[in-house]
Amino acid sequence: MLRLLATIRKEWQLLLRDKTGIILLFVMPVVLITVMALIQDAPFKDYQDVKFDILTVDNDHGRLGRYVKEGLASGGQFNIIDSLEGKPVTAERAKELVNDGRYKISIIIPEGATASIVSNANRIVNDITHRMGMSVSLPVKKVPDSLNVTIYFDPAAKKAFKGAIHQSVDNFLTQVETDMLLDRIKHQLRSKDSTVSDTDTLAIRLQAVGLKEQSTGSGKQLDVISNSVQHNVPAWSIFAMFFIVIPIAGNMIREREDGSLLRMKLIPGSYLAILAGKMLFFVGVCVLQFYLMMLVGIYVLPLLDLPQLVMGQHPGATLLVAGGIGLAATAYGILIGTVFKTPNQALNFGAISIVILSAIGGIWIPLEVMPAKMQLLGHLSPLSWGLDAINDIYLRNGDIEFVWKNVLRLILTGLAMLAIAGWVEKRRMN
Amino acid sequence: MSGISVKELYKTYKGSAEPTLKGLTFQFGEGRIAGLLGPNGAGKTTTISILCGIVRGDSGEVKIHGLKQQASHRETIKHIIGIVPQQIALYPQLSAVENLTYFGNLYGFKGKALQEKIMHYLELFGLEKSAHKEIHKYSGGMKRRANIIAAILHDPKLLVLDEPTAGVDVQSRSMILQFLRDYNRQGASILYTSHLLEEAQSLCEEVVIMDEGRMIVQGNPLTLIHQHPDCNNLEDVFLHFTGNALRD
Repeated sequence: MLRLLATIRKEWQLLLRDKTGIILLFVMPVVLITVMALIQDAPFKDYQDVKFDILTVDNDHGRLGRYVKEGLASGGQFNIIDSLEGKPVTAERAKELVNDGRYKISIIIPEGATASIVSNANRIVNDITHRMGMSVSLPVKKVPDSLNVTIYFDPAAKKAFKGAIHQSVDNFLTQVETDMLLDRIKHQLRSKDSTVSDTDTLAIRLQAVGLKEQSTGSGKQLDVISNSVQHNVPAWSIFAMFFIVIPIAGNMIREREDGSLLRMKLIPGSYLAILAGKMLFFVGVCVLQFYLMMLVGIYVLPLLDLPQLVMGQHPGATLLVAGGIGLAATAYGILIGTVFKTPNQALNFGAISIVILSAIGGIWIPLEVMPAKMQLLGHLSPLSWGLDAINDIYLRNGDIEFVWKNVLRLILTGLAMLAIAGWVEKRRMN
Repeated sequence: MSGISVKELYKTYKGSAEPTLKGLTFQFGEGRIAGLLGPNGAGKTTTISILCGIVRGDSGEVKIHGLKQQASHRETIKHIIGIVPQQIALYPQLSAVENLTYFGNLYGFKGKALQEKIMHYLELFGLEKSAHKEIHKYSGGMKRRANIIAAILHDPKLLVLDEPTAGVDVQSRSMILQFLRDYNRQGASILYTSHLLEEAQSLCEEVVIMDEGRMIVQGNPLTLIHQHPDCNNLEDVFLHFTGNALRD
């Protein structure tokens, strides 16, 4: 126990004297998570949270144009712009402005669109009433129009964004067409049954089955969505925790080079106690880093107009995961410090390997948006195990039962890395 | 009883075509100051590493104070040996007291007894005024002296020193050599390697000159000089046996 405690105290003294190391371990990660949360805030926001200017050219001046403009504006997602510098926007000007990238979307409602819809509704009603043996003839155009509502997108617009706009406008078109048709049917029914006054409304309910969103969790429900803070704070915290391999590997190589390792091995007693002390200290540093960054997510990021981090309701499980990540990161540092001969080699390999493991492990962007093969590869990264476990706690209200498999993976990987490091060291000595 | 006994020791490192040690054999009595001398690449560091139990020999026998260097005796031998490596095996960012407290703790010493022992040795080596100064701020001689203290905290019966006076000034060297003589007078055996043959001649009661993994000659320095009329000092004896060819 004395060896273990003495080693922890020695590592603590070394860390306190290493101002650059302290900055690397504690200040840089705070800056990193703040910057990443800020720059990834917009891409992470749902479309309803982002307001776009939408150029609207209404050549129809009828019900469709009004519906589309009112419908788009009512969602709060779009600012409808139908005039610039006091002049109505023309189709050509709208196309030009979107192509220049000054506006993301433009919608052109063609002339006669409402009339065309009315004519089509009349044709349907005429057909129905004729089949019912009634002689009603609402006015219709002899040749149906072939009109389209035109949408221009900024060439840089994303596919998902285009899809969402398409869907919305299509819904408005359907809604106008349905409303027109129902209007015509009601009008005909009223004229057939003279006892119904004009003020009576005919309730026609089209939607029999609706949509209702519910949480999948049990017990206390969390009202948390995966936003920039919920993703970036844990993700980049895990990334920063793994960067502890740099000081650990440097520490190991220096001890080997200056003979301290030799001296420690020559002292009676197991070297494992010294190694355990070193590991405990660095795992502790990792856990401290983790909670420091969580505090930044809770108290600092909201000051920058970002959402507040929600840490879930299972602090024990969170601590366990943080410890598991710290253990895997520390063991990786010991492995790199054992395998490589110079601090430069260890620094380069350590840093690049963590960047790769983090990229494939869903730290930069969530694994779910990666191609299927990359997702499979990503699930092999210890960083993804840590992030999955944290997401289980923070977003899915998971407890230890949810995370123990990922924690076990982290611990076993850490032990395997230590075993490899031991084998390499033994081989080197002989 | 012999302090150190090495018989037919062979060692080839993995990946190396040439054996480093080729049947090395020598013996030093307990309580003596012995020198292990040889040109670069002779196998001195490998021999010391095997004596300390850090590296295993491929074959042959090594005994320290009568105990065979094998797994069952390794811990006991660690208590017997104190090693002063050629490098300054101390943490440069820590002070002498912090370093020595740490290594003392690893030996199982703690509290007031350890601190008194540390202060005693710091005074003995003239480092008491710099006790709380970080090691990287020490001069070369101060670092060497602190390096020796870290090896003797557990009062070893056999002190192994790998070039303990390399790169130090005359005053520090004189202090270190005087300490070794005094420590030896208290009953400890000392095994020392150096390229400073004048120093070895004055300090050692016995020397082994080795080359290419073998013992070339062993004996008292003065006896060896007298045995070779063309040699005026130990350096002449050394060159007589190892030749003038460069060993880069």
